[in-house]
Amino acid sequence: MARATAFDLTQDGRTPVLALAGDWTIDTIADLEPALRSLSPAVGTEVEVSGLGRFDVAGAYLVVRTLGESRGASPIGVRGEHANAARLLQVVVSAITAPEPAPERPRGLSGILQQTGRAVAEISQEALETVSFLGETLTTLARLLVRPRRLRWVSIVHVMEQAGLNALPIVTLLSFFIGLVVAYLGARVLGDFGASVFTVELVAFSMLREFAVVITAVLLAGRTNSAFTAEIGAMKMRQEVDAMRVMGIAPMEALVAPRVLAMLVMTPLLTLAAMLAGLAGGLLVTWANLGVSPTMFFTRISDAVPEQHFWVGMVKAPVFALTLAIIGCKQGLSVGGDVGSLGRRVTASVVQSIFMVILLDALFALWFLEMDW
Amino acid sequence: MSAEIAIRVRGLTTRFGAQVVHEGLDLDVLRGEVLGVVGPSGSGKSVLLREIVGLDRATAGEIDFPAFSGRAPRMGVMFQDGALFSNLTVLENVEAPLREHVHLTPALRAEIAALKLSMAGLGPEAHHKKPAQISGGMRKRAAVARAIALDPELLFLDEPTAGLDPIAAEQFDRMVRELAKALGLTVFLVTHDLDTLYAVCDRVAVLYGREVAALGAVEDVAANASGWVKEYFCGPRGRAVQMNSAPGMGHGN
Repeated sequence: MARATAFDLTQDGRTPVLALAGDWTIDTIADLEPALRSLSPAVGTEVEVSGLGRFDVAGAYLVVRTLGESRGASPIGVRGEHANAARLLQVVVSAITAPEPAPERPRGLSGILQQTGRAVAEISQEALETVSFLGETLTTLARLLVRPRRLRWVSIVHVMEQAGLNALPIVTLLSFFIGLVVAYLGARVLGDFGASVFTVELVAFSMLREFAVVITAVLLAGRTNSAFTAEIGAMKMRQEVDAMRVMGIAPMEALVAPRVLAMLVMTPLLTLAAMLAGLAGGLLVTWANLGVSPTMFFTRISDAVPEQHFWVGMVKAPVFALTLAIIGCKQGLSVGGDVGSLGRRVTASVVQSIFMVILLDALFALWFLEMDW
Repeated sequence: MSAEIAIRVRGLTTRFGAQVVHEGLDLDVLRGEVLGVVGPSGSGKSVLLREIVGLDRATAGEIDFPAFSGRAPRMGVMFQDGALFSNLTVLENVEAPLREHVHLTPALRAEIAALKLSMAGLGPEAHHKKPAQISGGMRKRAAVARAIALDPELLFLDEPTAGLDPIAAEQFDRMVRELAKALGLTVFLVTHDLDTLYAVCDRVAVLYGREVAALGAVEDVAANASGWVKEYFCGPRGRAVQMNSAPGMGHGN
């Protein structure tokens, strides 16, 4: 029974016969395919199946395809006995269809140009959507301000815990390390000029004005924005957002507003914690390396570093918070029906928010420099 | 068909914590038959399916496939919502198992996938659509095409007609019946749909009270029913179906 998979095209009187042998299944037909493709049997060829072993739809398909052009509309003539060959051939004959050719994708130079053009159009569309989402969010917040009883305190506090409090350890730890690094750099570089005592100012200036708030915002972009987008996106995919709308619950009020408000409260607090941790890192290095005592460190800061630097850093926190929450929620609500779009939206959420944080920070730096603050 | 046993379940016990789903469950599925599995929600129909295909492990008991003399039979599974890969097109979904398990030229692979889709009743216009872009009924057909892509010996269908309109459900039932007979498939079909039971299944197994409460041809089970089984078959919905499938209308034997 276990004969090699093979075929043989012979002539029986005036009728051409395609004799099949061995197993013709999806596992075995790969080797036969090229030979069969070049075969062009005459009209009215019949199939001899008594030598056939196992036979399945794929094998039957190959036979039908081989006889295809010559057969016309007439059924395939089967000779010999086999458990399922005749039936399977019949099934395939009645079901056969060619695969639809894939839709043409633009190639070459014009393809690249088209893709670039589409990408640029998408970016501008995305920017427009995000700005209009910002407007929508602000009007929702204004409405809630007038009627504060519609605020959802439970969700707000929940997000404050998830996105704010739970981020505290990582934010303080990283700021502490940044403080350490800046102090080391200062001690080293300023030491060359014999001005290593100014390390205290360097740490205070950089942490208060820039590093604390930027580190916090970037961490939140990675940690919280992805969570916002994934949560809202999954709700969108499972039609939970639609269910809310139908029940008369506005997603802007129930999903977006609590997240924005919680971020507006928690980001400045986290920034404050980051500032303190950064200063602590700097203190550790100056104390150990330069012998500046903690008392001296803080006295020097309060003498030499004006209060405005603290506010320059702090005023950016709510702006970043709003940017992050808006991008996270907007991307979440833009998720479509498939898994791929969820992945793309989470990526976009994190990338866009980090990009916006750095861009806004640069604009702030320019502005504060010009204003001489 | 001879009465070879395709799936043999013996003494199956499944426990999730304190909750006992199956206890000492025995079931034989004969080769070449379409077995309908019914039972109230939570009676462990889908769990049994998952255990047979090897996705879940039973707490105790044995499942084997005597008709396939030791080798693992080829299985195709259609999950409840289709479980099509949402980032692939319909044609690519059907090609996926072919791509993984057999070496074919891309052209032949696409041709076979197209043939399987056509056997499941999906024409070429759906080939390059994503699962999210087609209707629920088409998704189910695509899922069946993917399940039979490798010419399985055992086909598992989990609630195939749930969520379809009656006409689409009836067409789907007919398609399953024709496929099963043409390809000589052994089908394990979990359903709530009485119409499907009468139209498609050779035998029916009722899971109730942690074991198989009734087993046999649909008409016999319905005739000798008691307790939950009686309510199921002889409730208002059951009666209507029985009337419609009266002499001549049911499947031939």
